[in-house]
Amino acid sequence: MSALAVRRLTKRYTSLFGKPLLALDGLDLAVPKGAAFGLIGPNGAGKTTFIKLLLGVARPTGGEIDVLGGQPEDLAVRQRIGYLPERMHLPAASRGKDVLRTVATLKRLDVSDRELALALERVGLGVVDRRVGSYSKGMRQRLGLAAAMLGQPDLLVLDEPTDGIDPLGRVEVRRLLEEEKRRGATLVLNSHLLSETERVCDRIGILHQGKLRLEGTLDEIRRVERRWVARFDAGADAAALAGAGFVAEGAGWAFAGADVDALNVALDAARASGAKLVELTAASRDLEAVLADALGEARA
Amino acid sequence: MSQILRIALDLLVEAARRKWFVGLFGSITLVLVTLASSLELEVIDGAISGSKLFGEVLFGDILSSHRVLGPLYLATAYAAFYGGAMFLLMACSDFAPELLTPGRIEHLLSLPVARWQVLFGTYLGVLTLAALGTLYGAGGLTLLLGVKTHDFSPVLLYGSALGWCGFAVVYAAMLASAIFVRSAPLSAASGLFTLVLGIVSSHRESIAAVLEAGPRRQLFRFAMMPIPRLATLADDSAAIASFTPVDSSALVRVVVACFVFSVALLSVAAWQFERKDF
Repeated sequence: MSALAVRRLTKRYTSLFGKPLLALDGLDLAVPKGAAFGLIGPNGAGKTTFIKLLLGVARPTGGEIDVLGGQPEDLAVRQRIGYLPERMHLPAASRGKDVLRTVATLKRLDVSDRELALALERVGLGVVDRRVGSYSKGMRQRLGLAAAMLGQPDLLVLDEPTDGIDPLGRVEVRRLLEEEKRRGATLVLNSHLLSETERVCDRIGILHQGKLRLEGTLDEIRRVERRWVARFDAGADAAALAGAGFVAEGAGWAFAGADVDALNVALDAARASGAKLVELTAASRDLEAVLADALGEARA
Repeated sequence: MSQILRIALDLLVEAARRKWFVGLFGSITLVLVTLASSLELEVIDGAISGSKLFGEVLFGDILSSHRVLGPLYLATAYAAFYGGAMFLLMACSDFAPELLTPGRIEHLLSLPVARWQVLFGTYLGVLTLAALGTLYGAGGLTLLLGVKTHDFSPVLLYGSALGWCGFAVVYAAMLASAIFVRSAPLSAASGLFTLVLGIVSSHRESIAAVLEAGPRRQLFRFAMMPIPRLATLADDSAAIASFTPVDSSALVRVVVACFVFSVALLSVAAWQFERKDF
């Protein structure tokens, strides 16, 4: 069951004098319930537009959006969504608790002062009692996160949640997001910090020039090139291994093939030559390399 | 409680933290306290036989309370109409642009609240703020002078209510402007422009007479037709406050015109707000 699904989602921005801008170009995507989905891509890829369309803050030019079984404009759907914008702007004269109270009121949540204090405590703002105008960027993000998590929403949409937060704070935010995942919430995370995305998300989508270039579980997209590294016993015949399609790589032998069947054919050929397989690992790359490759292919 | 009321209440809470409004209510309190402590009135059989302000005799004749209060209420009604409109025009100009700031409007629209509710909630919040200021100032003065003269005529409250009605038109223009262009100075300028147009509209016949007869005069008359006559409203407000009879059917027409014009502006604002991407 999908927490959100979009079909042929298109967003074109038009202006009176400028050229029209195609921000999203026929996007198809489904995020299962309970998944932590990370959207990555360069600046201007369409990530924030995608999030705004999900929330009904912007309207699509074409395509369909299904969020938690309804439409983004549906107020009952929005009741079940928690959102943290990229740059949270809050009324300067308010205090943290006031901001949470406003969100709770508009979400028709019956929360006590004690619960609001606990929500602030959860994001490390428990002892802060000053006006939001004097908050640092990181503190604003924490407050925004507390507001997003208020009322245990089914879907958490977070745009750059750790922006401006110090490294220790990021660890705390990660812990909070892990807690939300365990609770069963679906996470949609838009972040420039690939390492953060990699640590939190179990599904990744790479967006570039309004198109989804790659999408899948973290393991799937890391291994998209279908490459394995094998280690054989000392008696293996190098020429026979090379003949089977293996290429020497350090202490092992690398094999790149279309799929697992191709790998097994190569392994059978190696075994037939008398080589004994000692170890086999699927080569995996970090998200940065995957992103660089995906963007490189798209540009080519 | 509906979402409109929640948005309005939130705006009132935000206003309570702003220096502008703390200053406004502080100033009204100061005027009332000063008057309460410095104005002495002697009342005999419902008439005022003597008065002192800061110990200085104002007049010694025996006058009816209406003759004494009339000029004071007249000045207060005009001050409340134009002064109040100018003050609120500046103090409220950034409510809507602030609400529409990137990072705040997206967050607000992601909550279970419809766009039209945000718009009308903001309008209601600002008008409630204006009503509270009017009620506190006019009500306080009526009560204070009522205690001193034993004449509790609510005429100043009625007159000030018309001032509030005039501001409703001005703020509708400010809000509509902010929806199209998120700018506090532009919002204030559009409010001022509406106020000036409303004054011009009140004198449209005398201005039209000055213009050369022909299409230009017709065009002017046509352009002024939908604009509510705000100066007429101010005059009626002052007249009511100073115990002077007014043409009630003409007044009703002006008030209805204010209402229709505000609704038209808010409808345009709602249409633009609904179709806008943030």
